[in-house]
Amino acid sequence: MSQTLWNRTLTWSGAVRRSVSRVGWPATDKDRAAAMISSLFLHIHPARVSRHVLKPAYTCALGLIAGVLFVVLSVTGLALMLYYVPYPPEAYRSMKDLQFVVTFGIVLRNMHRWSAHAMVMVVFLHMCRVFWTGSYKPPREFNWVVGVLLLLLTLGLSFTGYLLPWDQLAFWAITVGTNIAAYAPVVGDQVKFLLLGGHVIGPMTLLRFYVLHCVMLPLAMLLLISLHVWRVRKDGLSGAEVHAPAAEEVAGVFPPSTKTYGLMALSKRPRTSVEARDPNDDVFAWPQLLYRELLVALAVSVALHVVSLVFMAPLEEMADPTRTPNPAKAPWYFLGLQELVHYSALVGGVIVPTLLVLALLVVPYFDRGKAGAGQWFAPERRVANAVFTTLAVIFAGLTIIGTLFRGPNWAWVWPWK
Amino acid sequence: MTNDRVPPGSVAEKPERPDRVRRSMFVIGCIGIGAATAGFLAATVRFLVPNVLYEPSRRFGIGPPTVFPPGAVTFLPDRRLYVFNGADGFYSISSVCTHLGCNVKRGGPGFECPCHGSQFDENGQVVQGPATKALAWYALSLSPHAQLVVDLDQPVNPEFRLRA
Ligand code: HEM
Ligand code: FES
Repeated sequence: MSQTLWNRTLTWSGAVRRSVSRVGWPATDKDRAAAMISSLFLHIHPARVSRHVLKPAYTCALGLIAGVLFVVLSVTGLALMLYYVPYPPEAYRSMKDLQFVVTFGIVLRNMHRWSAHAMVMVVFLHMCRVFWTGSYKPPREFNWVVGVLLLLLTLGLSFTGYLLPWDQLAFWAITVGTNIAAYAPVVGDQVKFLLLGGHVIGPMTLLRFYVLHCVMLPLAMLLLISLHVWRVRKDGLSGAEVHAPAAEEVAGVFPPSTKTYGLMALSKRPRTSVEARDPNDDVFAWPQLLYRELLVALAVSVALHVVSLVFMAPLEEMADPTRTPNPAKAPWYFLGLQELVHYSALVGGVIVPTLLVLALLVVPYFDRGKAGAGQWFAPERRVANAVFTTLAVIFAGLTIIGTLFRGPNWAWVWPWK
Repeated sequence: MTNDRVPPGSVAEKPERPDRVRRSMFVIGCIGIGAATAGFLAATVRFLVPNVLYEPSRRFGIGPPTVFPPGAVTFLPDRRLYVFNGADGFYSISSVCTHLGCNVKRGGPGFECPCHGSQFDENGQVVQGPATKALAWYALSLSPHAQLVVDLDQPVNPEFRLRA
């Protein structure tokens, strides 16, 4: 009697499990490959990947880390929204509440803040990696363009988030930032008016920045990240074709395929032919890729927790439009621009950033030769890499000067004095 | 148009002459949808422009002339404004730096900005960049109740004086 009841329960629970996931925990390579393809969450991976792709020194996992940070920011951000009131002066008080009243509120706030800073840095480094490995070469030109848009979205999210604490830091950083926008020719003043929802930074501005920061920009980001990752999946990661053995080498080893690949006839994407790829160079994505990814996500998570438990996110006095702190600085990633703006607002605030973004957007359509794609600092790409590196170093240098070497009245100071 | 089920040589195979009416209806439809889209975009932009501003009025009283001692400069932090009671009348200069909007302080040749070091003379003219525009001057007037009134929507030249 009890035996049958037990068996029935087992059958029933098995049926429930199967309704959730059609296959059991995959035990063989074949099952795991099938799972990679059939699961919504896993199918952004191929079933097999080139060994080359797995080398941490190739991608430095930077795109992956950016993705992990986006998830962390979304989760912590949603939690913060439960206590945050987007209206001054309550906005500032809710930050104080999060710090001193809400249990674990401060950890969440720190984590959100430090992840945001880290994301700007990581996305920038990811872009550098992609450039230095020539990974924007055909067929990946458009994914580079999507990437540039993601970089702009990352900056936009950081900037709109910066106002929300409604402290002095926030208020004056946004004052300086939105006044830079006003230097844009013709539409500058109107853009500033729309952004602020008025002439001065006030409740309307906070509400606009809040909606942009919490809804519009994250949704746009989610959409573009999906497109970005989808295209990485479709094109495969760069570099695999460079490291694939030459077709003649493989030809003698593997019999020519007689299979007709029905769907592949439809796929327009350029790829090396199936026969030319050495199957021995490929490994199964589960476990080889999947476990590495989980490890990176775990490491990022641990690092963020440690940092957030040790370092407090800054919160100054409540925003006071009548008192300008000296010096008033934009968020650090805009301090390179502010340093330029110190010489000329039009050049530093409008002309240089516009030209930089335009140059980034069109670079894959001008630098089209495929030579040197898929490897770090390929000698064939000496000129392109030199130009990019020079610009990146100048930009980083200006940012460091603006952050550390500028004191009251934007005069030069030594950070260790 | 080809269709497997239609035998060769039948009506469908003949090259069709474009139907004038259908084509022009199509063009009219496209123009209509295009215009509607443009209108929709314009409406969206207009929607973003607030009609009522919940911010301090741009025209406000700052008290009777007598509260400003002759020959002195008074800073009104809430209004971000310097009010002068000079020998030849009243005038007011904005404390909003024309570079990027910080508050200028009295000092140097007249005014100094803490943010990027711009300097302005007593009349708000640029002495040293990065600011390129002079500080704004705003019109003063006397209300029927003998109050000084500033109008931020009415910029004036540095010759402006109000005799009161
Ligand atoms: C929110 C920001 C971003 C996220 C989450 C993201 C995510 C990713 C991921 C997960 C990959 C797979 C390879 C890897 O891990 O490195 C990747 C590749 C790539 N990314 Fe991004 N990315 C972002 C921003 C950018 C930017 C700013 C650029 C360039 C301007 C860019 C251009 C590319 C290109 C061209 C590839 C293909 C590289 C290859 O095949 O080797 N991405 N991205
Ligand atoms: S805001 Fe005054 S010098 Fe920049």
